[in-house]
Amino acid sequence: MDNFSALIDGFATVLHPMYLLYALFGVFIGTAVGVLPGIGPAMAIALLLPLTYTLEPTAAIILFAGIYYGGMYGGSTTSILLNTPGESASIVTAIEGNKMARAGRGAAALATAAIGSFVAGSLATVALTFLAPVIARWAVQLGEPDYFALMVVAFVTVGALLGSSVPRGIAALALGLFLGLVGTDTLTGQQRFTFGVLNLADGIDVVIVAVGLFAVGEALYVGSRMRHGPVRIIPVEKGWRTWMKRDDWRRSWKPWLRGAAIGFPVGTIPAGGADVATFLSYAAERRLAGPRRKQFGRGAIEGVAGPEAANNAASSGVLVPLLTLGLPTTATAAIIIVAFQSYGIQPGPLLLQSESALVWALIASLYIGNLMLVVLNLPLVGMWVKVLRIPRHYLYAGILLFGALGSYALNFSPVDVLLLALIGLAGFFMRRYGYPVAPLVVGMILGPMAEDRLRRSLAISQGDLTYLVSSPFAATAYVAIVVLLVVGLWLKRRERAEEA
Amino acid sequence: MLALATTALGAYVLVAAGSITVPGSTNTLGPRAFPYLVGGMLVAAGVVLTVLILSGRAGEEEGGEDVDPTVRTDWLTVVLLVVTLVVHVFAINVVGWPFAAALLFAGAAVILGARPWWRAALVGLVLGLVIQVIFGGLLGLSLPAGPLLEGVPFLRG
Repeated sequence: MDNFSALIDGFATVLHPMYLLYALFGVFIGTAVGVLPGIGPAMAIALLLPLTYTLEPTAAIILFAGIYYGGMYGGSTTSILLNTPGESASIVTAIEGNKMARAGRGAAALATAAIGSFVAGSLATVALTFLAPVIARWAVQLGEPDYFALMVVAFVTVGALLGSSVPRGIAALALGLFLGLVGTDTLTGQQRFTFGVLNLADGIDVVIVAVGLFAVGEALYVGSRMRHGPVRIIPVEKGWRTWMKRDDWRRSWKPWLRGAAIGFPVGTIPAGGADVATFLSYAAERRLAGPRRKQFGRGAIEGVAGPEAANNAASSGVLVPLLTLGLPTTATAAIIIVAFQSYGIQPGPLLLQSESALVWALIASLYIGNLMLVVLNLPLVGMWVKVLRIPRHYLYAGILLFGALGSYALNFSPVDVLLLALIGLAGFFMRRYGYPVAPLVVGMILGPMAEDRLRRSLAISQGDLTYLVSSPFAATAYVAIVVLLVVGLWLKRRERAEEA
Repeated sequence: MLALATTALGAYVLVAAGSITVPGSTNTLGPRAFPYLVGGMLVAAGVVLTVLILSGRAGEEEGGEDVDPTVRTDWLTVVLLVVTLVVHVFAINVVGWPFAAALLFAGAAVILGARPWWRAALVGLVLGLVIQVIFGGLLGLSLPAGPLLEGVPFLRG
């Protein structure tokens, strides 16, 4: 039961008023960026990274965990109340939630999304609490070639599945790998692709790339074809009595639980992240709906409750490989790795031992954050709606401003902001021509790690390539790539068929 | 076009990887191997994409809440926004961060359609000063306040 006492210690840390304040601040920012179109949790964390160097690690990690979770809640508000879908994970919610809101049942849709997220998020956090130590203990035995195999799995699945086109995903991934190469080679001290520029010898900062792609690229892209005119929001009826009726509760609790059961495992494996989980849950609910199946597509509450629960459970699941293997499976997870690294902490199997207090504080803050979110979200819906009404020209001007601030604050050198503009332009072209940006960020962060593992493996085996597949785990991982790809692509195809 | 750029970058990586100095001490996999791999990936992806585009299968543009899929790309806005960002960069050291920030915000907002322009400028100025006070003054980020506000103590980073 030493894990249990460690968790209690974690709670003791988080319940400290100062940290509670950071958690509250985090979920607040997170919900706001989740609600606002055009910004996601990945971008919010990337932006805040340079601004939080003065904070101590625990405070910063609690803050980021809050943003991570808050973003997931906020997205559902947007997709239910706005006519157009929010962040990709909640697109399925938009189908049913939006229809419910138009039928005057917006409050019930918001309530089932928020309460379902809370239920599933809490269950998934419990699962994380028990699963993470087990996996970490097992992962300690993994060797260099095993890690290299895991990273190859992440590369292939992220490149092929985090976008609509496989070759474009791979191209984005390769671009990210290239950006990761720029700088000084860690093993031999040789400069690579620095073009003789002194600033590049330390490599390109991931924060600039992430902010440039997510923030500046998005602002430029939206600017190039902005939806003019006022923002149309579906009005919500006031008063908590309209939230959920007895019948809504009866129809929601099973989808919540099923969503949690689907979302968490899908989140833990690198198979395309929360998108896949929400879609699987939606398909399951529709199949199980029985006589109510006709309502799907016209505002069925099950179609909001299940996917929203799955979405939140998946985002907890993503933390399992992140905390135990140091393996990011989504763009946001990759940014969280950068956050850890900026404090000199390398996520991996030893994290639970070396930074045990920090990790358990993080997990405890997930429980607290979930609770804060469900309390915060429902009564404050009116405020989030106001946030949603921010005129778009001010919103995107503000995004540009904070992006410039974040990259300037890295080294206080204007050159970084110029680089930001350049990468932002690249991000614009990627969006314009359908290249996903998430694989680029993941490739850039994982690339140097993978190269390190590969070269160390081959140094141990003295150049024998068969060593890479000689361990049973590594061999299994390479077989798993094929399986994950086939299943993942099949699911994508189903999803598109469903939407059409 | 991006497909060609990808191919070109990949070819460059392949060529340039050959000129990375390999110290004599490396016995197995030196600093060149991984770049060769990455260059190969870039070229392969670039070629596949070029073929796809030539055969008429262009990419799907990314959607979004604020994106109107029916309008054509407004290149002028993109260029103006980038120019504003560059002006902001050069303004930081001349007029100080808060005013450069105001310039960036107001410029971008007006380009994106904020009217009247003086309201955007006012919002930008307030925003720049508030950020300077919070991040520079309270959190200790060394944002240069600029010659105009040099003497104000609570703005110093």
